[in-house]
Amino acid sequence: MNPTRLAVFSPVDSTARVEAVVRRLADAIALGLLADGEQLPSEAELAGSLGVSTVTLREALMALRQRDLVETRRGRGGGSFVRVPPDPSGAEFEVRLRAFTVGELRDLGDHYAAIAGAAARLAAQRSLPGDVQPLWRSLEEMATSSDARRGRVEGRFHIEVAAASQSARLTQEEIRLQADIGPLLWLPRSGATRHDEVVAEHRAIAEALQRGEADQARDLAERHVLDAIEHLIELRLLET
Amino acid sequence: MNGTMATKVEDEAGATVTRACRAVSDTAEQVFRALRELRVAAAEQVRLVRRAGREPATADLAALRPMLFGHLGALIAGIGFIAAPGLLSDAPWYLEWWQDGPSGAPVQLLRDLNPASSAFYDYTHWDWFAGPHSGAERTVCGPYVDYLCTDEYSLTLSVPVLVEGAFIGVAAADVLVRSFEGAVIPSLRRIPAPALLVNASGRVVASTTSRWLAGSVYRGAAGFTAHPCGDLPLRLVAAELPHAS
Repeated sequence: MNPTRLAVFSPVDSTARVEAVVRRLADAIALGLLADGEQLPSEAELAGSLGVSTVTLREALMALRQRDLVETRRGRGGGSFVRVPPDPSGAEFEVRLRAFTVGELRDLGDHYAAIAGAAARLAAQRSLPGDVQPLWRSLEEMATSSDARRGRVEGRFHIEVAAASQSARLTQEEIRLQADIGPLLWLPRSGATRHDEVVAEHRAIAEALQRGEADQARDLAERHVLDAIEHLIELRLLET
Repeated sequence: MNGTMATKVEDEAGATVTRACRAVSDTAEQVFRALRELRVAAAEQVRLVRRAGREPATADLAALRPMLFGHLGALIAGIGFIAAPGLLSDAPWYLEWWQDGPSGAPVQLLRDLNPASSAFYDYTHWDWFAGPHSGAERTVCGPYVDYLCTDEYSLTLSVPVLVEGAFIGVAAADVLVRSFEGAVIPSLRRIPAPALLVNASGRVVASTTSRWLAGSVYRGAAGFTAHPCGDLPLRLVAAELPHAS
């Protein structure tokens, strides 16, 4: 048997399971389904409910700790607690940004633009008025929310667009990208001066969806992601 | 073909449509039966706690778990009781919600939908809550990409839960579109013409023609007739058979 086939039939190692658990929890945190400071169930309980061994779970928790998404406290009242990444401002933002090379940012942007563009195009073709409604609610909230919260609402808006495409895979991919780069991507643009502009960009996407203009929706969504990435890359280039 | 034979063929085709409509109703009814059972248990639990002189709390809803776990299976991918905001004394927002886990064991993952701490607005906006809340006895939502629970293309069916006439929450269940499709497609295939099942707004749930696939929108078409499926918010659309003269 050639080595490639050997690799295919080798036992699925625990890394894949660790990664699946990390992804599940990181996604839940990015989506805001797990709240900041919320205590996770005990290791045994969590391992049981996720259907993995405690060894796998511990490895996953370690990875989440390294990503600062989970904090473990010892002693009485101890346990694992969710840490929602604070809005990356100042020093923290720089640390997170510096973790990416310019090339990686460009690649993430290409990937994200492809997903966001395809999702917006399909959403324009397939959505019914009821599917667009959550977008308007998010827009309203975006216009009035504080700087700290706006990034999250923006992330939610993009997930809602993806869901309107009726594609589960595109939506899952969108959520994953949000977890990878959402907090970084949406924040630098949310300074007070650009607030109206950001809301207007989102409104234009929602309007194109509502009118069923597929090509325009795709262009706007791609442009939106690429502009945000370009801005991040410029900031990254300033740091050496 | 003479007139009598043509009528006979049409009658038989009509009978396959009627049977398919019944298969759709039966499938949905299976889920609604589970939800009515859950609604009785949830209301009873709340009454019981109140009779003991306190207001219900999240821990009281744990009593529903054996019943919830029993309903998870072939058709139902997630099921639970969603408390009306303010019902519980220790949490303004709460879902006693369980779904099939990857290992087959039930999982409760959604524990925080508090609009103040998460990016998600209150669940009273979702149709599966708003429908029963506004008095609808049976609500069918979707198909839609359910990114909060199943992460898949799903339907959510729900019924209101009342105690002494007052709304206390919703009993709801998620059904993956592919499971629902699996249950109704055999009877759709027996119709000797292209056929599809659509929801109230025209979104296709299941279909035997590539012209409309699950997820696309049926906006009416010449030569197609929509048939109601009992009092469900679903319609069965089938091509009319060419009339023989």
